[in-house]
Amino acid sequence: MTVAEESTPSSPTYEYDDDVAAIEGFFERGFTDGMPVIPPTPARVEAMLATSGLAPDAVLGEVPTRNVVVTAEKTAINAVMAGCRPEYFPTVVATVRAFLQPKANAHSTTATLAGAAHAVIINGPVRKEIDVECGQACMGPGFRANATIGRALRLVIRNVCKTVPHVLDRASWSWPLRYSFCFGEDEERSDWTPLHVQLGYEREQSVVTLQSVMNLVQITEFAPEPKGILEGFWQLARVYGLGRDEWAGDDRGIVFLIGLEHSRRFVDDGWTKEQIADELYPKLTAETTGRLDKNLSLASPKNIHIVAAGGPGIASSWLLLPHLSVPTHEAIVAA
Amino acid sequence: MTVLTLDPTTGGVDVGAHLTLAPRPRSLEGQVLGIVANGLGISEVMFDHLGELLRESDGLAGVVKVVKPSVAVPPWPEQWAEIVDNATVVVTGFGGCGSCSTRSMRDALDLEAIGIPSVCVGHDQLLPAVQALARLVGAPDYPMITVGYPHNPTGVWTKEEAAGIAERVVQQVRACLVAPQ
Repeated sequence: MTVAEESTPSSPTYEYDDDVAAIEGFFERGFTDGMPVIPPTPARVEAMLATSGLAPDAVLGEVPTRNVVVTAEKTAINAVMAGCRPEYFPTVVATVRAFLQPKANAHSTTATLAGAAHAVIINGPVRKEIDVECGQACMGPGFRANATIGRALRLVIRNVCKTVPHVLDRASWSWPLRYSFCFGEDEERSDWTPLHVQLGYEREQSVVTLQSVMNLVQITEFAPEPKGILEGFWQLARVYGLGRDEWAGDDRGIVFLIGLEHSRRFVDDGWTKEQIADELYPKLTAETTGRLDKNLSLASPKNIHIVAAGGPGIASSWLLLPHLSVPTHEAIVAA
Repeated sequence: MTVLTLDPTTGGVDVGAHLTLAPRPRSLEGQVLGIVANGLGISEVMFDHLGELLRESDGLAGVVKVVKPSVAVPPWPEQWAEIVDNATVVVTGFGGCGSCSTRSMRDALDLEAIGIPSVCVGHDQLLPAVQALARLVGAPDYPMITVGYPHNPTGVWTKEEAAGIAERVVQQVRACLVAPQ
């Protein structure tokens, strides 16, 4: 086999009269999330693959329950369809690898009645290089990198991992976060240690953290000082609770996204992320007292991940409660 | 100018696989029933009652049960070994949610692949997913024993309901685990 052949996609092909016909054809074949996709031509897919330095048949991971092997080629095809620019692809690869780590529990989090989504949290220099929004409106529409990287993961989940509604996607409701849910940490906001550095990576390394999301809980709390704000955090978290899952074990974690109005209160009073987690841990894990006061099964304060994001205005933060999985992370490696 | 596009999928669920099912015993007498329970709701109560019913009516030599560490994962390796080393026929489930139903079917098919007759018990609302999984693994006609409404899919039953479900499915379980007479 020549080098050219090794780098050439080998997926089956479909020919259409033009791009519009291809877009309609992909709807008819059931390849989309309900919105139009960019037709994945061989040239577009090869340009995507080139930024990662991966051969088309490079394996990114597996979903063993479904006999699914996810390759770089299939991931690149879906990244093109999602609207990614080629320079996003190393981040998409890291995202898919994180999703396919065994403890991310890909089969469970995508077939579940609960309709769990997946939050893609990006740290490191890549945020600036590809313009990942970390601040105002970062969880919503309007930002190509955020929207298309998250969408690429969802298309991989659908097309490669066979998670199609009415078949293996059994979500009773599903939810909008399943179209795309990707944002970055606002590392520049303060001197807080970025999440990836807390996880052991170098600050200059770019990293994806993936957290399944069963509940996305908004915590609006106008208390003027840190302990009052955190009281709002743990009181609302305990309305939901988090049960023990033996398989996920001691690595299961939760994520608090700290909004700007909250983080400036913490920073002004000298609170670090670690202090916040230490303050929250005993409150979150204290014994359950009733139907609306349930504890969270967390092994240690290190299982409480603190991420700075969002913009000014409302004094709110968000809690990401997981499905039956643990947060996973992968370094982003470009060619 | 025409546009050539690449297929983004891994081929749906009909991928041409074929699974040979395990040979069935003539009866359950003397067999050891394995139960691979996923802990969904109170379905373990149903399985315990099912085991008792078969022990009394069919002369099982024994029952060995494992409860998986999460609803939609394989058994721990030591649990798998306990089943494979001891059980001669197996029932899995309860397949009452999207991921646990399909995983329970996969457990049954993995046991079939190594020669242990098995059957999965679940809720009829999950049949499309379970049948898709069976097609994926190469057993498109593999039977699943289903329970329907008014019983909640996720195993939120009273103990009386759990026992009643066992009594309703016991004949089907027997029929799936033994050779046609």
